[in-house]
This record gives sequence, structure tokens and C-alpha cells, in this order.
Amino acid sequence: MIFNLKNKSGGALEMLLNATTIGLHLVTATFVGLAIGYFLDKWLCDIGWCTKPWMTILWLVCGIAAGFKNVYLEVKRIQKAQEKDDDARRNPPKD
Amino acid sequence: MHQGWLILPSIFEGMGLNIPHNVLFSWFVLLVLVLMGTMVTKKLSLVPSGLQNFFEIVIGGLEDFVVANIGEAGRKVFPILCTIFIYIWFMNLTGLLPGFDAPTANINTNAAMAIVVFLYYNYWGIKEHGFGYIKHFLGPVSFIAPLMFVIEVISHISRPLSLTLRLFGNIRGEEIVLILLFTLAPVVATLPMYFLFGLAKTIQAFIFFMLTMIYLKGSLEHAH
Repeated sequence: MIFNLKNKSGGALEMLLNATTIGLHLVTATFVGLAIGYFLDKWLCDIGWCTKPWMTILWLVCGIAAGFKNVYLEVKRIQKAQEKDDDARRNPPKD
Repeated sequence: MHQGWLILPSIFEGMGLNIPHNVLFSWFVLLVLVLMGTMVTKKLSLVPSGLQNFFEIVIGGLEDFVVANIGEAGRKVFPILCTIFIYIWFMNLTGLLPGFDAPTANINTNAAMAIVVFLYYNYWGIKEHGFGYIKHFLGPVSFIAPLMFVIEVISHISRPLSLTLRLFGNIRGEEIVLILLFTLAPVVATLPMYFLFGLAKTIQAFIFFMLTMIYLKGSLEHAH
């Protein structure tokens, strides 16, 4: 099939695909955490219950953790795909 | 700012309509796709040829890929996945036509699509699991469930953001490189880049499609 990227380029395209997905997952989760914390702090200050830096710090740490979790899941997915690939290579389907 | 070299916006500006460029060009892509669809389905033959052949290869290949990854459940979400791939692919490729701009080089188009994807996979999660969908957010161990819930919510919100930024950054970057090369050495320098960018734009459309598929797979299967 045309979407079987592996056969044509020896896996280079698929690695490119994986490499471009991992980096942004780490970064965006961090920024989402930071944004949630920042605006939560702002809002809490407005309603008169100021916790100025703490919410930001807490949610930023959570965001970083979420980023690492994303990367971990992504790596697990790649590993699974590779194992499946190795199995297919070791036991080629009989015609 | 008036940009005379962009055909469609010039026409619409001449008519006194001020519609954003990305909206205009995505309308154009929609029009092209609808026209192609009607052309193909008007005379379907058992032995495909021409345009029908092309669409059968693309859609058939995508369907095999989706069913191999999600399983039989993938067939019910396949229409939107296929739409996403073909729509983004064509939108990316319009950036290579002279006088046209890729709608995906504007962050609004991408954000709209990413939000649709976000709502859609959560809709399927709720439809499949009901209230039990919350188990997807709680992690494997019960005593760290509150912490996992916060982390999972952040990572779910980060998904549409990363989808948006990846597509926007890649396509916008390619457009800028094309313009820069064109100012350096018109046509001679840009022509070789067309092959590279034709490939890169296809890959970006495929990445968007593949990530959507992975998210849908996650919401369709049971939490573990």
C-alpha cells in the first residue's frame, strides 16, 4: 500500500514522522500548564483571594509532568510498532 | 495591504468583499474537492481509470491503514479521518500554485480543524463509555488519581495546540522559504524546492491524520 512508508524508504520517513511529533508534545503541554496557572492566579487575585506565584508554579510543574507523560506514551507507541515490525521480519508471512 | 499577485483575494476585493485570505482559499479547495467528487461519482466503473483510480488508491490505502491500527471500530470514524487527510493535503498543496496561498499557513484554519478533532474524539469517548470515560483520565493507580487527573487534562488540552502549531509552523515556514528563494533567484531556485515541499506537505497532512487516528483510538478503546 502507498501508506506503508517503511517499504519505500527503509523506515526513514516513519522516523521523521515520530521525531516531529515528540518534541512539540513536550513543549505544548508545558505551555498549557503555564497558561492555566497564570490565568488562574489572575482570576483568583481579581476575586480577592490572591495566591500570586503559587498557582502558576504548581500548574507549570503539572504541565511539565504532563509533557513528560506525553513523551513517554509516544516512545511506548514507537517501541510497540518496532517490536511488531521485528516480529514480522523474523517470521515472514508464508504465501 | 493590497496583494495583487494573489488571484482570489484580488477578485473579491474588487467586488468590495473583505474576506480573509485563508477562508477564501479553503473555500477554493472545498470547491475543487466537491467538483472532483462529483466528477468521480458520476461515472463509476468496475475497472477504475483516471481520477477514480487515484481516489480509490488514496481512500483504500487510508482505510486499510486505519483498520490495521484501530481495528474494525475504525470504520465508523473513517469518514472524518479521510476527510481530514485529503482536505489538509489539498490545502497544503495549493501553497505551491503560483497566485495561491496555503490556507494552512494561517493559524486560524489549523486551530479550527484541531478543535474539531478535539471535540470529535471526546464525543466518541463519551458516546462509547458514558460516564466511564473519566477512567481515561484517572491513570492506573487509585491513590494518585487526583494528580493524574490534572496531568491528563493538561495533556489533553495540549493536543489541539500541538496539532495546530505543528501544521502552521511547517507550512508557514515552507511558504516563507519559497518566497525568499524566489527573491534570490526567480524560478531556478524554487523549482527544485517544489519536489521537497510536495513531499513535506504530504507528510504534514499525514501526520495530522495519524495523530487524529491515535487520539480516536485512545478514546475508543478501554482505559487501562
